Amino acid sequence: MEIQLDKLTKQYGSRTAVDGVSIILKPGVYGLLGANGAGKTTLMRMICGVLAPSSGQIRADGKTIDRLGEKYYDRLGYMPQHFGFYPDFTAREFLLYMAAVKGIDKKRAGERADELLNTVNLTKMAGKKIRTFSGGMKQRLGIAQAELNDPELLILDEPTAGLDPKERVRFRNLISDLARNKTVILSTHIVSDVSYIADTILLMKNGRFILTGSVDEVTGSINGMVWETVTDEQTAKGIMNRFPVVNLHHESGLVRLRIVSANKPHADAVPVNAGLEDLFLYHFGEEGKEENT
Amino acid sequence: MNTLIKYEFLKIAKKRATLIIMLVSLIITALLFGLPVLQFQTYDKDVLMKGMEGIRYGRSIKDGIDATLTDEYAESVIDEVNGLFEDPENVGNDGSERFLIGDAYWEHIAPREELMNTIASAYTGPGEYAGYNLIPELTASGAKGFNEARRDKLRAIIESPSRELSSEQKEYWLSMTDKSGVIRYGYHKGWEIIHTNFELLIFAVLACCITIAPVFAGEYQTGTDAVILAGKYGKTKLITAKITASMLFGIMAFLIHVAVAFGIPLAFFGADGWDLPLQVLGLTIPYPWTVSGAVLRNTAVILLVLIAMISLTLLLSAKMKSPFQVLSVLIPVLIVPMFFTPSGASGIFNQILFLLPYRSMVPEIGKYVSYQFGGIVVGLLEVRAVFYAVFTLALILFCRRVFKKHQVS
Repeated sequence: MEIQLDKLTKQYGSRTAVDGVSIILKPGVYGLLGANGAGKTTLMRMICGVLAPSSGQIRADGKTIDRLGEKYYDRLGYMPQHFGFYPDFTAREFLLYMAAVKGIDKKRAGERADELLNTVNLTKMAGKKIRTFSGGMKQRLGIAQAELNDPELLILDEPTAGLDPKERVRFRNLISDLARNKTVILSTHIVSDVSYIADTILLMKNGRFILTGSVDEVTGSINGMVWETVTDEQTAKGIMNRFPVVNLHHESGLVRLRIVSANKPHADAVPVNAGLEDLFLYHFGEEGKEENT
Repeated sequence: MNTLIKYEFLKIAKKRATLIIMLVSLIITALLFGLPVLQFQTYDKDVLMKGMEGIRYGRSIKDGIDATLTDEYAESVIDEVNGLFEDPENVGNDGSERFLIGDAYWEHIAPREELMNTIASAYTGPGEYAGYNLIPELTASGAKGFNEARRDKLRAIIESPSRELSSEQKEYWLSMTDKSGVIRYGYHKGWEIIHTNFELLIFAVLACCITIAPVFAGEYQTGTDAVILAGKYGKTKLITAKITASMLFGIMAFLIHVAVAFGIPLAFFGADGWDLPLQVLGLTIPYPWTVSGAVLRNTAVILLVLIAMISLTLLLSAKMKSPFQVLSVLIPVLIVPMFFTPSGASGIFNQILFLLPYRSMVPEIGKYVSYQFGGIVVGLLEVRAVFYAVFTLALILFCRRVFKKHQVS
């Protein structure tokens, strides 16, 4: 499925959450990166048809999603950020309910629910009420519901938020597995999540895409702007006051700094290859650094 | 669709809050309809009998009040009472009224006092007190036969200028009263309790609405709206399923309440009198229905009120962000009308009051309330039924639209 966003805009009063976004999305994994408030969730909700744009259009294979109606939703899987579950339902009941909402027939729904519970490693918890689940289990159940109808377009909003490192790795692998032959839009402000699995990075700031491309392409935009230096603590403090520092590491009385700057920050600084975290900090500054911590 | 309805039903029914609300509401309903049983008391010559003992005694003498109120039967009762009053030994006086005392009262009046009061009431003016002790004055020489006196009283009520009835309304009520023939009297205590306590079912309606309040708003509150609205049937069949499941749950829960509410008086006082005419509850009641028929009719109207209130709850739920906001509007809608009492049966204000949810639970069978649309006159229960059916339809259509257009935020 090809998704075309055409000058998509969402305004809340005088604030513009998404500002004239245009892009064509083809099968592949898209990592939507941006600080909080960048417009990621608003954009995803509009793509999912649960939030009407103020202007602009969303087309799926050339037809507007309003016109496609149920046909569009039939090809869509969505896992929103922080969505609640029905605590009195068991995991299996929840999936069967969602399958009914997605129009999957009863027999197929049962098979698919069991299959996905196995995929997300929740088979043993299938009959347990969701109120007893940990955060990670709920996230896995969330992705299982999004996958029920084997969607061509899978939208995952901050799927790894709140997970511990082990769960996050597990989740990334799961998404990677499920993403084959689909268009997957994965929103996060955790850079490492997308750096492993995204084919294309969409860097969003103030409601606009400010960079799009593969990891190498987008990080290439700041090549020559990422530096490393090892210096004493006093000098390090001075550098930190003047430049955005991606990383700081104490090494036998000295400090190793990774700095993003268009200008050479220190006489001993040497240029290094840029990564996504560097790019994130470059564009989002301290705000991005805090979120990525 | 059936699967969707099933899961939506389970979402309501499996909530802990639902179970607690239903349990509390059932206990309240049982207590309210059980009070007449607990507080029942009657006397015989020697003792005061309370509760079940009194009820058993009442039922043991029920055959004594089985009677068809023909002119001849009424005349025999009137003669009997007048005869008793002729003996000064039988008569007491409290300064304002004369009454029978001693064996004359306990043996001849007490077991049939309600029946005798009913006969006496045919001879009093509209709205006046009628007791057996007034029979000698009311039936002085030249008194009409019982049924003629009753008909005259009905006509006087209908023709009374204070009622402000139009000629069409007068004709409507006169033809209605003509349909009730000779009255058969009998024991009907269980049904009487139901008739006088209909409005207590407001707590059941309220409980049903409280459990339905989160149907849409709960999805917004927990953030599940985004997931379900992005599903294939999220904006179509799911709305129908939610509405259907809410209605099913509400109706089932309400019927359980009704079974408890009606079951208690009927279990203790018995279902005797189900086929008696409504006039056993009041001689001037115009409707030609049986006591149980009137209960069924009013229960059907209350069911329509319930369905409309569920629809209103669903609309508010679709519109508002949390179930608490829904209840902050809904509870006043149900409770506030309790404090407004109609001052008569005519006038726009009174006629609107008769249609408010709380007031609509009371059958008002003796108030001659009718509505006139051009030359057509329609009775209160019919107007309530149509009003709440149309109200439901409008609310449901509106509710569907609101949820369909809901924007996830």
